[in-house]
Amino acid sequence: MNDRNLVRGLFLIAISLAFGLVSLRYPMGQFSRAGPGLFPLLVSCLLFLIGLITVVRSRFVERVDLNFNMKNIALILASLCGFALISEHLNMIAGIVFMVFCVSFAGTSYSVMRNLKISACLIAIALAFQKLLGFNLPLY
Amino acid sequence: MEVLHNLALGFEVALTWQNLMFCAIGCTVGTLVGLLPGLGPLATISILLPLTYSIPTGGALIMLAGIYYGAQYGDSVSAITMKIPHASSIVACIDGYQMTLKGKTGLALFTAGVSSFIGGSVAIVVLSGLAPTLGEVALLFGPADYCALMLVGFVCVSFVTTGSLLNGMAMCLIGVLLGQIGTDVNSGMQRFTMNLAFLADGVGLVSIALGCFGIAEITKNLDNRDERTPFNGKINLIPTWAEFKRIIPSALRGSVIGSFLGILPGGGPVIAQFAAYAVDKKVSKYKHEIGSGAIEGVAGQAAADEAAARTSFIPLMSIGIPENAVMALMMAAFIIKGIQPGPNMIAGHPDLFWGLVASMWVGNCFLLILNVPLVRYWLSVFKIPYSVLFPSILFFCCIGTYSVNNSLDDIFITATFGFIGYMFLRLGLDAAPLMLGFILGPMLEENFRRALLLSRGDFTAFVTRPISGTLLAFIGIFIVWQVAAFFLQARKTTARRQQPA
Repeated sequence: MNDRNLVRGLFLIAISLAFGLVSLRYPMGQFSRAGPGLFPLLVSCLLFLIGLITVVRSRFVERVDLNFNMKNIALILASLCGFALISEHLNMIAGIVFMVFCVSFAGTSYSVMRNLKISACLIAIALAFQKLLGFNLPLY
Repeated sequence: MEVLHNLALGFEVALTWQNLMFCAIGCTVGTLVGLLPGLGPLATISILLPLTYSIPTGGALIMLAGIYYGAQYGDSVSAITMKIPHASSIVACIDGYQMTLKGKTGLALFTAGVSSFIGGSVAIVVLSGLAPTLGEVALLFGPADYCALMLVGFVCVSFVTTGSLLNGMAMCLIGVLLGQIGTDVNSGMQRFTMNLAFLADGVGLVSIALGCFGIAEITKNLDNRDERTPFNGKINLIPTWAEFKRIIPSALRGSVIGSFLGILPGGGPVIAQFAAYAVDKKVSKYKHEIGSGAIEGVAGQAAADEAAARTSFIPLMSIGIPENAVMALMMAAFIIKGIQPGPNMIAGHPDLFWGLVASMWVGNCFLLILNVPLVRYWLSVFKIPYSVLFPSILFFCCIGTYSVNNSLDDIFITATFGFIGYMFLRLGLDAAPLMLGFILGPMLEENFRRALLLSRGDFTAFVTRPISGTLLAFIGIFIVWQVAAFFLQARKTTARRQQPA
């Protein structure tokens, strides 16, 4: 299950099924007067075919190991979602500070002082965007 | 004569104070962001796209174009000085970095700057001559022809950017499917929205671009954990006359090759660089030196790079079909501004079109000033450690996503696509064709449905029309060739495996 080529094929098949099965629920129409479901179904079938070829092909080409490092991507996604949630319920300045402090765990070193400086700079940039360029940011 | 008249109109637009300023800002910011590790033109444009929302249309397009070629150029600077290959300037690493090792960084940068200028200028002549003519040809295209043309674009981009037709096509198709999310234009039915209100208008382009190129790219760099040493060498910019004379022929060759390859579907800077480099290696007077830090090795590819970056605007602006992922993003920016690129753009908005063309030349001058004397200061960007940089890039991704619709929901979509983009990265799938598929998806569907409507459901219409028939035949030949190549390769490897036994 650690073969990159095989996983890639399965991933493509999964995507094609996700779109293809849903599109079956939409009206198909005829070729001369296509309904909303026809085109996505065709494209999904094509993608399914490519996924299938990839799976078959993975048995004939050399294995490439899949290396998947969850920590960094998880930290980044968490800080993005945290930024959005805090900006929505509190304000964006708090969101920026949270994001900087959270995402820095993914870096090679961690320093509170440096994070404070980065946050201050980014808040200043956000203020400049709001005041000078007319961005509508809910900063405070 | 008409061209000159049109160009005069263009310069009138481009040389207003406002547009000069937008062009300068675009070039500067584009170069700056393009220099940053891991951010190629695609990521740069998608991060900076929101900056242009509050700017009038003409200025916004000029600024975006400036960002594009600024990023393209910034890329080559980091390639020459530190051998950090971005997606778009792999070739510059070969001879450019060799020259740096020999202590000729200044000469390499000067060569790249001047050659880019020459390449850009040649391309602008081609652009202003060819785009209006091609626009008239485009009027002959019917829906079936448009479908075939888009498919050719998919096949070419897949093959050129990923090297594997299968992976590239898969990404294009995923892009097309993502483009289906939202309301169907013909029937008004909501598709794949999972009953989420904010998906009714479809997935935002900026969310996908920032997720797949910005966030995935940051994560990749963090996973690698490589620390870079900033460039501290001496830079001596002024070349001798003998060295200067060597730049010109190679740069002119590169310009012609780049201009031509930039127009073809799937073409663009990357393939043009390789082609120009290969040609220089064959025909240059100094071909024995190329590979070990020759001026020609830098000049030809830099000119081709810049020329192709500009002529790739031709299919976008005359036919309305972007030929690579960067142009797809540009097209989206045009549409956000309410301009539909295509055969009618030149006639309908002559001031925009010719203003953009003229501004490219102005941008060329800006780049030359910015990059040749001031390059020292640019390089100080690399002294910023990555642990400071990546929270800032992430912040710009957030602001960029948010300010499209002033909606925080979009940030969640960006985060989702960041994860998907990371999966693609780890599975060895290049996200660039996805971008093209996403932009062209709705157009492909519309033309496909229209073509079938016209032919009353008869698929032979795609084959019997001369234009689409030829294009589809080309695709067929290409696929057969790829399959044959795979089996030949497989047979060779099995033969090799059996030999020792």
